[in-house]
Amino acid sequence: MTAPADLARVASVLEGLGTAEAVPGPRIRFTTTAGNLREAVRRALSGLDLDHFIQIGSVDTGKAIELHYHFTGPHRAVVTVAVALPREGTRAPSLADLLPPAGLLERQVHDLMGVEFDGHPALDRFILNEDWPAGEHPLRKDWKPREGAFYGGVRDAAPGPGGG
Amino acid sequence: MAEVLVPIGPQHPALKEPVSFRVWADGEVIVRLEMDVSYNHRGIEKGAEQRDFHRTLPLLERICGICSHSHTTVFAKGIEALMQVEAPPRARAIRTVVAELERVHSHLLWLGVAAHEVGFNTLFMWTWRDREAVQDVLEALTGNRVNYGINAVGGVRRDWPPDLVSTALDRVAPLGDRVRLYADMVAREKTMLARFTGVGKLTREQVLAYGAVGPTARASGVDYDVRRDDPYLDYARLPWKVITDDHGDVLGRTLVRVGELHESLNMIQVLLRDLPPGEIRAKVPRTAPPGEFLSRYEAPRGELVHFLRTNGTDRAERVDVRTPTMANWTSVAMALRGRWLADIPVIVAAIDPCLSCTSRVSLADPEGRDRGGMTWDELREHGIRFYAEGRHER
Repeated sequence: MTAPADLARVASVLEGLGTAEAVPGPRIRFTTTAGNLREAVRRALSGLDLDHFIQIGSVDTGKAIELHYHFTGPHRAVVTVAVALPREGTRAPSLADLLPPAGLLERQVHDLMGVEFDGHPALDRFILNEDWPAGEHPLRKDWKPREGAFYGGVRDAAPGPGGG
Repeated sequence: MAEVLVPIGPQHPALKEPVSFRVWADGEVIVRLEMDVSYNHRGIEKGAEQRDFHRTLPLLERICGICSHSHTTVFAKGIEALMQVEAPPRARAIRTVVAELERVHSHLLWLGVAAHEVGFNTLFMWTWRDREAVQDVLEALTGNRVNYGINAVGGVRRDWPPDLVSTALDRVAPLGDRVRLYADMVAREKTMLARFTGVGKLTREQVLAYGAVGPTARASGVDYDVRRDDPYLDYARLPWKVITDDHGDVLGRTLVRVGELHESLNMIQVLLRDLPPGEIRAKVPRTAPPGEFLSRYEAPRGELVHFLRTNGTDRAERVDVRTPTMANWTSVAMALRGRWLADIPVIVAAIDPCLSCTSRVSLADPEGRDRGGMTWDELREHGIRFYAEGRHER
């Protein structure tokens, strides 16, 4: 059986990359920086027996955009690698090559939160419809629908084929 | 032969939800697949930030018409954890019964859809008739057939008198024999063996790499079930086991779901025979203190996650939903590579996509010559004919 991914082990495997803390759940949250994210995830995957990537949780706190990469493994402990990114020019390295499921999840976070993932093979629109205006990210706290903008669905004024 | 782009979807007038697949095929063989799942984005996560916890529950219940109870339970248990209150034992038992009835109706629905996709419509009719009995039980117990409205923050909204419980028990008991019949059919019936065996194969390593969950993962030998691994509700005290299989194909996913039907029906009967007495709803504060909680739940299709953040008010700061279907898409894209075009319906159906479907396949080569049209039904017919004529063996 694998060793449990407890607080001490997370702190030692990811030493020098950030800080680890226990949060209710129970869960261990490791806070790092965008620059150290790939190294932290690479080390966590090999050193902490994390074989299941659960989710990228995203939060706009009003001050920063936070990304929480949740993992678990055969020991069933949940480990989160978290980064806080500036709200302007929000960028993070893509993990799509390390974690295949991150490819779709990063496209979703890009749509909803406006995070640019550097190195993503195709950061195309995924969850927002094709008519949604570029550059508008609806889960940002300060996002509001603009008067007169078209967000998808049926355009009232324009008759479609057959008279509409 | 040059690669051909086959767009599938996004509209289907009768069944399921919209998704658009773009499949690149070389002759009959799938090369790769891309998808567009944007058609059903309704802004529910944004809406959940703008109303209090009690008003958020009915909104989340409408994320899905099958796992409606899953979404309210995973949210309610997360908010309760953040409020540091616990639903009373009777409420937890009632939630568990509804959760397992939901799994039974969902798996019966899936079994029917999978049978239909391979042209075995007798089984489709049988399982959906049995599912109707489950819907009737849910209606009797909760008042509703789809969005049960049973959950509240702190417990449940409706108590069950003893005569209602015994009626429900009488209706659930005969389903055990039906499930035994289906288990026998899956093991021996020729159509299912021919169309499910070796189709949509995923190894254990692939499942782990692509992040698949639920019956899709368990059918490839991944022993992972949130009910056991991060226990909630009454699962830690109930007699049941996690069903796994090592076929790794659509047959394996069928065997896992049939096995889970057995376990769920058993759990429902154990709970209904001995419902704990007492209150059904704890008194909860109006607000939740600032905090975050990763709430996980084993929905019929697999691990469902709500990442919750609260800020001291009566509203959530963030509700980030990761559905099991989202986790399973990557594995579908990989399972389809190198397979026949004729296998698309059953491989896509095998993950039981909660957001799915298609109406129209137009065939076009990269230069735009030779355009034709195909409906989902025609693609299904094509799949059935393809195998009936033995073209997969040529």
